[in-house]
Amino acid sequence: MSLIQDYSLVLIFFILPIIFVLQPLFLAKMTKSKDETNLVSLKRKKRLLYRQIKELEMEFDMGNVNDSDYQNSRNALKQEVSSVIAQIKSF
Amino acid sequence: MTPVAGAVALNLAFGFSILTVLTLSIYSRNGDQRLFLTGQRLALGISFFVFLATFILTYQLIGSNFHIDYVARYTSLETPFIYKISALWAGQSGSLLFWLFILSIYSTITIIQNQSKHHGLMPWVIISLAIIQMFFLVLTNFVTNPFMPTEADFLVTNGNGLNPLLQNVTMAIHPPTLYLGYVGFSVPFAFAISALMNRDTSPLWIQSIRRWTLVAWLFLSMGIILGGWWAYQELGWGGYWAWDPVENASFMPWLTATAFLHSIIIQEKKDMLRIWNMVLIILTFSLCIFGTFLTRSGVMSSVHSFTASSLGPIFLTFVFLILVSSFGIMYTRRRELRSKRRMESFTSRESGFLFNNMVFVVMCFAVFWGTLFPVISEAVRGTKITVGPPFFNQINIPIGLILLTLTGIGPLLAWRKTGRQSLVRNFTFPILSGLIGSAIFLFFGLEGTVVISFSLCMFVTTTIFIEFFRGVRARKNKFNESIITALRRMVSKNRSRYGGYVVHLGIVFMFVGFTGHAFDKEKEFSLKKGETEHVAGYEFQLINISEAERPNHYAWISELQVIDNKGRFITNLLPEKRIYFHKNPDVNRRQPHSELDIHSTLNKDIYAIFSAVDNENGIAFLKIMINPLVHWVWIGGYILIFGTLIALWPRKE
Repeated sequence: MSLIQDYSLVLIFFILPIIFVLQPLFLAKMTKSKDETNLVSLKRKKRLLYRQIKELEMEFDMGNVNDSDYQNSRNALKQEVSSVIAQIKSF
Repeated sequence: MTPVAGAVALNLAFGFSILTVLTLSIYSRNGDQRLFLTGQRLALGISFFVFLATFILTYQLIGSNFHIDYVARYTSLETPFIYKISALWAGQSGSLLFWLFILSIYSTITIIQNQSKHHGLMPWVIISLAIIQMFFLVLTNFVTNPFMPTEADFLVTNGNGLNPLLQNVTMAIHPPTLYLGYVGFSVPFAFAISALMNRDTSPLWIQSIRRWTLVAWLFLSMGIILGGWWAYQELGWGGYWAWDPVENASFMPWLTATAFLHSIIIQEKKDMLRIWNMVLIILTFSLCIFGTFLTRSGVMSSVHSFTASSLGPIFLTFVFLILVSSFGIMYTRRRELRSKRRMESFTSRESGFLFNNMVFVVMCFAVFWGTLFPVISEAVRGTKITVGPPFFNQINIPIGLILLTLTGIGPLLAWRKTGRQSLVRNFTFPILSGLIGSAIFLFFGLEGTVVISFSLCMFVTTTIFIEFFRGVRARKNKFNESIITALRRMVSKNRSRYGGYVVHLGIVFMFVGFTGHAFDKEKEFSLKKGETEHVAGYEFQLINISEAERPNHYAWISELQVIDNKGRFITNLLPEKRIYFHKNPDVNRRQPHSELDIHSTLNKDIYAIFSAVDNENGIAFLKIMINPLVHWVWIGGYILIFGTLIALWPRKE
């Protein structure tokens, strides 16, 4: 292998990754707001609660949960999801 | 690419791992987004250099560069192409690099997949993964470097070649699959540590790792099944599981991971068992590292262990550090880990899951104790007391049957509480089916554990079908759908639940196969050409002994004709006696190996081993085994994989 080929390989495999890694340090200072992170978490929580309500409905349709348990659990989940939606709206 | 480039890539990866941990630790304090980006890219850089090093070593293995010690030890000019690649994980340093390679794949996917998600969790996830990478980089850089040159004062023109036992297609697939499982648990572990560090122990972190845990669990399960398949096909003792230390090493994390997969459902739905889930994932990951230690250290003698080394203390120290630091962080976060909810009833799905968790952990402890007892007894009393299959079977068969029972009971219990009426309604059919099964099996003369096991299999199968039936019926009534549409939509809208039931069905099939072991028969004999022998109602006639020289071995092939007791031709079996490295002038380095042949049906396997050959008198020394129901184990494995894939398939939100 010629010397030029050797140097090209070193450049591609060793120098370029180092440049790629260091590049963000030359950008202007950035900070991420906590609000943005919390909003993502709340949206995930809302999806999870919706899914739980659907699963509960299915359990009820299958006859695995009795009527009073179904109503209690459904109301509790609905209350929880309402509070999450209210928090999302407040952003 | 020269081997030096490989060694340099590993050096750089190690340097990058230190920088990743430092950069992201500073970011977690000052929140400067530039540092996060740099840390993320440094972590991608670690993976890049590891990929490069792995590629270079594979290239050297394929190119038979015997100037590298590893290449000379595990390949030769005669080694077939596929086994030159599989030599990458055949030896110690290569397999550690391979561990690192898989971890780097997982790490890269985790980072890319979560670029816009989990901003709070990601810094500590990356730090945790980088620390694990750092450990393996220390080993591959400073303890057992795969790029070390061959230490010889002459030109090495050919290598040792790969161990014949490893020259099997299953063995080319089994270790990567097992490693994908072992290493895969690094990701859920990293998320768990990150959740602890961020004091965010709500069920959200569980959501992020459910799919990762399933992927790792799937690969670990496949690895274990493939390991059993390889042992059955290659080792020639007629079994697929011997409670060997290395087998146990993969089984222990599988047990705790299975418990974890069940208990995260409770945390996700009920926000309970926060501490328990943390304990389970920490134990699972520690057991994965411990498993690698057992396989690689040579501390236990095993049919699956192909290396012996002084890595033991380093691995043990790492496991110790993981346990101390993880449980230490857990202790400092004990307030956040307290669940707000309590179990409401003993007859609830939550308590069913918790009980199943306990049984999994007890089983894991029993296996752990049995595996380590020889080492502990040697350390304490100076004599090595071997713990064999009778100990493991005596303890684990009853525990396994309890788990099988719980597999059936769990789905029949409702969340929060199951009323008396529901209990009677849900359990009547499954119990009836189990009892009818018992009566039939007793009528046919079966007894003891065999009857219990088969009856429980019927009980569990009935519960699974009832769950499918009720679900389809509910959708049919509610949405007026056809049976096929209702089934399809029900499964696609509840993939994890119905995928889980399919996995349970796979486990039932496996238990049928395990129970078949009670009816195994075997006989050893010698035959001359034309002679016959009878085993379990089959006649075996030696038709011929032929010879063949192949690229990497010399073989004697015995042709056995099998006829059943009604005189019907069943099959011709061709077990072989092979000598590997037959051209080696040093007779001691030639390796004999029996390549067996199996006629496999759903009902039984006819398993033929060509133990030895007397060339002068034309006598073949053979061993025949009749193994009932083994095929069910492999079918169960396929069903288990299929069920896990259903559970893994992404759902439409």
